[in-house]
Amino acid sequence: MSFDYFVSILMPMLEGAKMTILLFFVSIIVSIPLGFLLTLAVRSRFKPLSWLAQAYIYVLRGTPLLLQLLFICFGLPMIPGIGEYLVLDRFVAACLGFILNYAAYFAEIFRGGLLAIDKGQYEAAQVLGFNRWQMTTRIILPQMFRIALPAVANESVTLVKDTALLYAVAVPELLHYAETAVNRDFTIFPFVVAGVIYLLMTLILTLIFKWVERRFTFE
Amino acid sequence: MAIIEVSNLKKSYGNLEVLKQITFDVNKNDVVAVIGPSGSGKSTMLRSLVHLEKIDGGSVRVGNDYLVKDGAYAKPQEIKTITSKMGMVFQHFNLFPHLTVRENLELAPKLVKKETAAEISKRSTELLGKIGLTDRASAYPSNLSGGQKQRVAIARALMMNPDIMLFDEPTSALDPELTGEVLQVMKSLAEEHMTMIVVTHEMGFAMEVANRVIFMDNGEIIESGHPSEVLSNPQHERTKAFLNRSLK
Repeated sequence: MSFDYFVSILMPMLEGAKMTILLFFVSIIVSIPLGFLLTLAVRSRFKPLSWLAQAYIYVLRGTPLLLQLLFICFGLPMIPGIGEYLVLDRFVAACLGFILNYAAYFAEIFRGGLLAIDKGQYEAAQVLGFNRWQMTTRIILPQMFRIALPAVANESVTLVKDTALLYAVAVPELLHYAETAVNRDFTIFPFVVAGVIYLLMTLILTLIFKWVERRFTFE
Repeated sequence: MAIIEVSNLKKSYGNLEVLKQITFDVNKNDVVAVIGPSGSGKSTMLRSLVHLEKIDGGSVRVGNDYLVKDGAYAKPQEIKTITSKMGMVFQHFNLFPHLTVRENLELAPKLVKKETAAEISKRSTELLGKIGLTDRASAYPSNLSGGQKQRVAIARALMMNPDIMLFDEPTSALDPELTGEVLQVMKSLAEEHMTMIVVTHEMGFAMEVANRVIFMDNGEIIESGHPSEVLSNPQHERTKAFLNRSLK
């Protein structure tokens, strides 16, 4: 196996990895705030909003992400009447699927973070005269995010690997190019390369989160 | 005129009456020790003064304003003004774990009082000296002992310049060898004539520092008066029984 061959399969795979990374960043940047809004909605005193948010989380966590992706890419355009307006670019559709799905998971993670905060924190803030906004932004959220951090890190690593589902909706990403090379050259080697690239991505991500966790350890 | 006047305070959880017609008042510079068995309603009574518990009937006046008058609460903004006259110290400290000691002290004045950073930091430096934790200003609460945490919590409440300090079993969560340092800070506050209401199991503190003791049992005030009367010469059977148990 020559070095030239290695480079010839690596290049398209790196090209594909760009797509993977792009999807990762778009998904994480949008789904974390969206997940947080969902958490607030679940906890809302306005019951219909809370029920709606809970139903949303239940459906999105209770069905496979692959099904959701297929539904958005291929299902929506089939809806009579409005389907023709719902034909999205595959990558955009995939981003949408990942965002909607991961927001539901992040919502649950943040909810857990909120539940872990002692009620004494609210009482202390109240007695010191903080208003609701000050209490939420200065006392509750910083603690919630710190508690949620390990779970967010875990979910993010899962997201990197889940990007491989793009394969199913025919968006060319890392795994797609590996598969192409495997079929073309009848060798297992591209799969190994793909695996190593995924490992590198998750390794970097893990290291970043480890750093953030250390940075926000209050000792 | 009394600085706090509580009359016919009532509170129930469902069918359980936790406070039955509580009436007492506190004069300026008083140090009132509230004692009694667990579940007697002492903490609930204290917490209702700062609106951490909602009461079902009666009146609470603080200074010139009524927090509750005959069961009707003041408007939210007025409630805030009234409760801001009181500082509260909790059994479990409730320090903000993500902030340093100094930040714990300075956050509330910074956000709530419109003071300059210089005024705030001057006061926090002063108070840190007073509680003997100047060298721990940049530590996080997780690195403090229980006694140190409670001293910080007292300083944090004092940062808001309250007229009255409320203490809800401030030493109950501490190892016995750490209660002294907290009681010492409270004692020096009393010597500076801070008005204080202290829910406590520390009979020594009540005897030595308080000028009035209120004994509560089963949601009622059974007996109150000077510590030498209530603690040394209790009139009521229930007070006697409680003191016998707690002095053993």
